[in-house]
Amino acid sequence: MFVGVAYAAEEGGSAISVVPVLSEIWPSIIAFVILFLLLKKFAFGPISNTLDKRAATIKESLEKAEETKVEAERMLEEYKAQMAEARGEAGKVIEQGRKVAESMKAEIVAQANKDAESIVAKAHEAMETEKKAAIAELQASVADLSVAVAGKLIGEKLSADEHARLIEKYVAEVGSLNDN
Amino acid sequence: MDQFGDKLASKLHHYSVLPWNDVYGSVEAAEAFVLTNYIFFLIISFVVTLGFMLLAARKLDMVPSGIGNVAEAGYEFIRNMCNEAMGKEGQKYAPFIATLFFFILFSNLIGLIPGALPGTGTIGVTATLAVMVFVLYNFIGFKKHGFIGYLKSFVPSGIREMGWGGKLTLGVFVFVLEVVGHFLRPLTLAVRLFANMFAGGMILGIFGIFVVIGVAQLSAGGFAIAGLSTVMLLIMYAFKLFVGFIQAYVFALLTSVYIGGALHADEH
Repeated sequence: MFVGVAYAAEEGGSAISVVPVLSEIWPSIIAFVILFLLLKKFAFGPISNTLDKRAATIKESLEKAEETKVEAERMLEEYKAQMAEARGEAGKVIEQGRKVAESMKAEIVAQANKDAESIVAKAHEAMETEKKAAIAELQASVADLSVAVAGKLIGEKLSADEHARLIEKYVAEVGSLNDN
Repeated sequence: MDQFGDKLASKLHHYSVLPWNDVYGSVEAAEAFVLTNYIFFLIISFVVTLGFMLLAARKLDMVPSGIGNVAEAGYEFIRNMCNEAMGKEGQKYAPFIATLFFFILFSNLIGLIPGALPGTGTIGVTATLAVMVFVLYNFIGFKKHGFIGYLKSFVPSGIREMGWGGKLTLGVFVFVLEVVGHFLRPLTLAVRLFANMFAGGMILGIFGIFVVIGVAQLSAGGFAIAGLSTVMLLIMYAFKLFVGFIQAYVFALLTSVYIGGALHADEH
């Protein structure tokens, strides 16, 4: 039962079979079935697992990356807020410091002014006292000098009482002159 | 042209089903235990496919690279195709479809080696694979929908809702058409793959003959023919590489579509 396109080669007898040859059927079945069983167990199974595992890993990594990104963004926001707060705080501290410094400056200046004034006043006072002392001394020496001069001029003819009266009168005159 | 006839006969002989070492003459359809030339190369394809895949499975890593990456990309491609054709159940049948794809692909590619034959270049192999697909997808259909349920699904729901008159005329007609269509599926699967791989080899063989004859002429015309044929040979070689991938893909795609159709037979 050979159906084929026999090629009419005189001595050949070769043919292209278009009907399956029995000796090709069973080896094909056996080869395919064995190949299928071996590949399924030792190749496609592991490959399939690897593909699934990789897909899961990639998915997980992407999710983790997304989570990390969100966390990073949250932290950045937090830091920014903290930064702003710190900046505000620092501003406040500086402002406060400035105020304190200013008030201290005012205080110091005021104190200095007061001190200066008191020093000036004391100086005035001292000067006044000195002046008075000087005048008193001057008056005394003028009186003595006058007495001596007068004594010399009138030849000790004045009594002690007259002498004293004359001096006082003179001093009063000098004093009133000095007051002017 | 006698020279061409002889060489063509020898090419045809090369592409015929023969005992693998070509010493006993042709193989008869009824002979059960002869290692044919195509099966010899199919076994080589089997070993290469298995070796490639097992090697790739050992090189799997979370960071894909090298041969592991190639096998992974191929398997993922097939798995996505199955998921598209079958929905949730695609995952379950992906190893079967992937085995078909890689076995056919490696068989096709090994046929590109000069002197070698594609394991899929003989109807014996392609028909066996096609019939296996046919049996599997119908088995899945019967298992999922029950014997009557699966047969009923051959008739569209519109006709099933008709009266008895419609059911007996149009219904039976469509049912018979559908059954014929199902039986044509393995036939087309088998012939498409076989014819593509066989014809590809023959075309390369014929251009090869032209090159040899052209050079042997030792004339300007002969060299021109040889040169042109060499160019054509290279173009056809690249094309055959492309066809090797496409045919493996088509076989796998149609199988997943057939299984998907059997799984979702109640939905149309």
